[in-house]
Amino acid sequence: MELLKVIGIKKTYTTRFGGNQVQALKGVTFTVEAGEFIAIMGESGSGKTTLLNILAALDKPTAGQVILEGRELSGIKDKELAAFRRNNLGFVFQEFNLLDTFSIRDNILLPLVLGGKSVAEMKKRLIPVVQSLGIEGILDKFPYEVSGGEKQRTAVARALITNPKLILADEPTGALDSHSSDELLRTFARINESGQTILMVTHSVNAASSARRVLFIRDGVIFHQIYRGDATREQFYQKISDTLTMLRTGGERK
Amino acid sequence: MKTGFKTAFYFKLALNNIRKNYRFFVPRILTGAGLLGCFYIVFTLAMDERLAQVRGGTYIPTIMGLGTYVMALLSFILMLYTNSFLMKQRKREFGMYNVLGMEKRHVGRVILHEMMIGGFISVALGLVFGILFYKLSSLLICRLLGVDVILGFYFIRLKTLIPPAIFFILLDTLTYLFNRISIARLKPVELINSSHTGEREPKVKWLILVVGIITLSAGYYIALTTKSPLEALYLFFFAVILVIAGTYCLFVSGSIFILKLLKKNERFYYNKNHMTAVSGLLYRMKQNAVGLASIAILATGVLVMISTTVSLYSGMQQTLDQNYPYHLYISAGYEDKEGNVVQIPRELLAQIVEEAAREYGVGIRSVEMQRYLQVAYMYEKGAFTSTVPRVFDLNFGNVANVTFITRDEYENLTGAKLELDKGEIAVCAISTKFGDRGITNGFLTIDGKTYRVAMTLKSFPVQDRMSTTVNCYGIIVSDNETLDEIYESQKEAYDVRASEYINQLAVLYADTQKACDAGQAMHDTIWRKLFAAYRDQEENIGSWRIDFDSLWDAREYIYGMYGTLLFLGILLGFVCMFATVLIIYYKQISEGYEDRNRYQIMQKIGMGPDEVRKSIQRQILMVFFLPLVVAGVHTAFAFPILEKLLHILLLSSTWLFVGCSIIVYVVFAVVYVLIYAGTAKVYYQIVR
Ligand SMILES: Nc1ncnc2c1ncn2[C@@H]1O[C@H](COP(=O)(O)OP(=O)(O)OP(=O)(O)O)[C@@H](O)[C@H]1O
Ligand SMILES: [Mg+2]
Repeated sequence: MELLKVIGIKKTYTTRFGGNQVQALKGVTFTVEAGEFIAIMGESGSGKTTLLNILAALDKPTAGQVILEGRELSGIKDKELAAFRRNNLGFVFQEFNLLDTFSIRDNILLPLVLGGKSVAEMKKRLIPVVQSLGIEGILDKFPYEVSGGEKQRTAVARALITNPKLILADEPTGALDSHSSDELLRTFARINESGQTILMVTHSVNAASSARRVLFIRDGVIFHQIYRGDATREQFYQKISDTLTMLRTGGERK
Repeated sequence: MKTGFKTAFYFKLALNNIRKNYRFFVPRILTGAGLLGCFYIVFTLAMDERLAQVRGGTYIPTIMGLGTYVMALLSFILMLYTNSFLMKQRKREFGMYNVLGMEKRHVGRVILHEMMIGGFISVALGLVFGILFYKLSSLLICRLLGVDVILGFYFIRLKTLIPPAIFFILLDTLTYLFNRISIARLKPVELINSSHTGEREPKVKWLILVVGIITLSAGYYIALTTKSPLEALYLFFFAVILVIAGTYCLFVSGSIFILKLLKKNERFYYNKNHMTAVSGLLYRMKQNAVGLASIAILATGVLVMISTTVSLYSGMQQTLDQNYPYHLYISAGYEDKEGNVVQIPRELLAQIVEEAAREYGVGIRSVEMQRYLQVAYMYEKGAFTSTVPRVFDLNFGNVANVTFITRDEYENLTGAKLELDKGEIAVCAISTKFGDRGITNGFLTIDGKTYRVAMTLKSFPVQDRMSTTVNCYGIIVSDNETLDEIYESQKEAYDVRASEYINQLAVLYADTQKACDAGQAMHDTIWRKLFAAYRDQEENIGSWRIDFDSLWDAREYIYGMYGTLLFLGILLGFVCMFATVLIIYYKQISEGYEDRNRYQIMQKIGMGPDEVRKSIQRQILMVFFLPLVVAGVHTAFAFPILEKLLHILLLSSTWLFVGCSIIVYVVFAVVYVLIYAGTAKVYYQIVR
């Protein structure tokens, strides 16, 4: 089943002092099937964050359409947008974006609170999520009291607790050491196996190799994509780095 | 050449910084200017000889002199306060300079230049502001004193221009030195990394909570239970200290206690309207409790200051009417060479007064001759005792002022008949508002001697002037012998401070305004005539003992005093209000910068712009209106004790005071709401 359809997305930034225009995206088209785990790779400045922000409805494209489960994002009223994001999308950011005035528990529950869920419902949802992420022991701590890996798992828990259709992650391993990174990627793989669709932007080949499909973005367009298929993670890793080398040396599209 | 270039460089950098941090600099410069302007006005009023010479203007130099000190103190506090906000906000920036290779002394020079630019603008602006508004202020004060405006050319004098300017330059220098020191202590790396992560959730400080509850209740208790003005006079200060202490303690710990309680209640807390507000406030309170408590106290100060001075001023006429049932009271006598006091015959005095009145074309409605004795007693359980009250005697409420006249005098003054046997008295409770009062059983003891109360009277012919602070009784005794007994026993107890017989003439003129217009001149004429009448006996007279108490003198005194006080009250009220605004403004924007990050995160995870705005409003509302509510509650509790205090200043109408307080509170609240709207907007701009 098609979950997300991205058709001909363009994004042009106009710099503040007029004139100078930066075309960050020049027509991006792809589809995401339900249950996929996709990594998006590309060089710095290639437009990955821009793309993700548009998918997250945090930003509006200059042209093109984003359709989530048959519903076009640009057709959603500004007022409903926040609720739409809350109910359909989960976010994991590089810099965690936890609120330091909330305990870990409250950070995770925040989307449900904003969605007006009952206390009983919150409790019911909280337990399985934190257990699957192994953070049930730190619920009463505050963000400054836990490690980076735990913070990121908290952010994942916050993203998962609303049962979103799609999880969007922007360099989720960017601020983690290799051990915590691996742990997080295993978590992603596991929740993906249980049916969760994930779209992850990353610089790291290691991170990308845990996905099922990798999209390569260059100069504002999807330049290339590869599927993992039945390959092992190590084989896929090799394939991705080969592709990257090829891209960097300016190879043509295959 | 090189230094010139350097100076230009620093100058440019400083100017740029001011522009960049305009949200902090502009209010600070305006604060300096406003404070200097007010300081200049108060100072110049104190120094203006022409104002001191207008009718009732004698109080201006003293009261404004006092006001100058208050203004100096307020300016000092506010200038340092605004500076501390500025510095806190910019520490990161300074750390950055340091990392970029600027030495601390260079940063110091940048600050020096900023200070010079800002200081120059604010001093210049302040003086202009002061000069412009001085004229207006002197007009206003003349209006308040009820005198015609002095005309004439108003010129600016260096004598009043230079000291305020120097004072503010000193304040700027002082803040500069403070800043230099705090920069010297700065550790750049720490600063750059110092976001506010790692701040713990505050804990309830139980001891402070308990102390706060106790001190606040004690303060309120005193305010509510104080029975008399004299008691109020020395307990007021104590109550104020207790309430201030209580306010600080409760803001610091009580607020956190309540918020924690709210947080414990899951159904309340896990609600999108409450969660961010409660947890946000919990952190905010930790840093801001002291600031908010200060706002509450300042606001209370404004309310009390303005409402008391306004009610005093607007109650003047009533005060005068109540205290001067007659327009003029004269008693005259002289001490002869042997030291005996000889009274001027009342008939002669009356004749002179009437002649003088005729000369000035002022009609007389009545002239009464009164002979009475007035003694201050302690009253307790049906007994008046002449004992010197000790300072720490809490029963000030029982001090009573008793006026004695004989039966003959009473019949003389009223024309009514009164049957009194020896050992019997008639009692009138003239004004009994405080403490132990009411004479219940049929007997009354005066200095150990018991009299039978034959009757109680509704009114008393001799009115005691200007005694609104204690209970007043009038007693009629059967004859002169009894009166003498009473006189002797109090004389024994009080010795040199004992009361003497008063022989006076009370004059009621036909037309109050005419009498007051003629006032001073008529006064002089009466003296001239009196001295003329005694010219032939001059060798017998040691010294004159003359007591002349007139409505016009009292009017001048009261207008002068209350008018000047009102002016100062309004001005200081203004400055305090301004201070409140400033504190709130700075709090709001510096918090805006801190909160920005949090709101951005919340928006990312699905909080809509409307929800953000609502949540912000709720938080600001709480932070803002808590002090306003607290100030209202404080003022309400202070009301009983303030009312007693106002009795000392001769205000006796409670309703007038109630009315003035309510009006002042409403006006204050409106101004406060406007400020709120303004700062909320700035805050929202920053956060969004
Ligand atoms: N708000 C903006 N205004 C103007 N230009 C922007 C803005 N945001 C991004 N850009 C430009 O758009 C291009 C794409 O930026 P984007 O942040 O999407 O890159 P990225 O792929 O996420 O890079 P990185 O891997 O470094 O995060 C860049 O050239 C960037 O300078
Ligand atoms: Mg990026």
